[in-house]
Amino acid sequence: MPGPAAGNAPGLEVSDDDIYQAMREIKGYLDITPGDFKELYLKALEHAQRRMLGSRKAREVMSAKVVTVSLSTPLREVAEIMATQGVSGVPVLDGEGVVRGVISEKDFLGLMQEGRKSSFMSVVAGCLSASGCLVSQLLGKTACDIMSSPVRSVRPDDSVARIAEIFTARGINRAPVVDEQGRLLGIVTRSDLLRHQAGSGRA
Amino acid sequence: MNWRGKLKGAGQSPPRVGLEEIVWSWLGAFLGMGAVGLIHAWMLSGLGLSLLIGSFGASAVLIYGAPKSPLAQPRNLMGGHLLSALVGVAVCRLLPEQAPLAGALAVATAIAVMHLTRTLHPPGGATALIAVIGGDAVRGLGFVYALVPVGLGAAVMLLVALIFNNLPKGRRYPEFWY
Repeated sequence: MPGPAAGNAPGLEVSDDDIYQAMREIKGYLDITPGDFKELYLKALEHAQRRMLGSRKAREVMSAKVVTVSLSTPLREVAEIMATQGVSGVPVLDGEGVVRGVISEKDFLGLMQEGRKSSFMSVVAGCLSASGCLVSQLLGKTACDIMSSPVRSVRPDDSVARIAEIFTARGINRAPVVDEQGRLLGIVTRSDLLRHQAGSGRA
Repeated sequence: MNWRGKLKGAGQSPPRVGLEEIVWSWLGAFLGMGAVGLIHAWMLSGLGLSLLIGSFGASAVLIYGAPKSPLAQPRNLMGGHLLSALVGVAVCRLLPEQAPLAGALAVATAIAVMHLTRTLHPPGGATALIAVIGGDAVRGLGFVYALVPVGLGAAVMLLVALIFNNLPKGRRYPEFWY
């Protein structure tokens, strides 16, 4: 999915000289200084951005095609699915399609180094030291053993601005979008938000 | 920003308008003031009433020289002059013997009233001041001053602006009515 690069909106880069030239192109005396115009323009842009964020809903930015696993999927299979699909997290569904948890790379790392604050590098360090790897811990377990639960899910009508707040407050990178019964409709990730914050839609 | 910093001014003067714009501004003002002047001469000989007051020169700058300005729109032109005239006459009646105080009060109050009513029109300040310092001829008119010369003169200038400012390709007037 080659989305456009997220970055500063190009419209922000209006120079004083641009404004002066534009004023020259408009016939008639404009009763405003270039500086006042710039202030007005930047404030208007801010309002426009806030309006876009406030009005854009989860359903418009989410991915509807979601890689999922079930409660009883063995961890070996979960890891394989995440690796081949190139995702860093998957929702865990029960038989009715209701989201019961989420498994992310962090959950694997946590299990491989129980009792310690885990990161990829701390696992590497552990593997290289005498204690050795603890991948064997993962054998025989299923998705429901290591998933994070309960899940912070969002509704399709939640605004992008609200979701960004949730991500920041909870330090999470993705949230499943669910219906009234808790059934999975899609997923919103940080990169979905970034893409829409940059003012461009899906490519 | 402190007081000294503010005094330096951080803004930039807007660009000079094109020659075409200058010519149209000149022509508009000439026709507008000419119309008021002709009616003035006719009224003066027939009815003994004056129509020319100084603040119309200031209005001409706005409605023929900067017709895009919010200050130059019909609401501001008519509202600003009428309300300021009423304020000026009222203050003059309230403080008949105290010209300096009455003048200050009339102009300051006219600005406040124009702001409140979204009719800010700088020449209105002159209209209010003239009500106070205009001598016996103006004082004798009482509140009629708001209708003649102020209201009628402003209306004539507005009419010329509505016709004339819409003749050139690059001009239009008004931006809004009220």
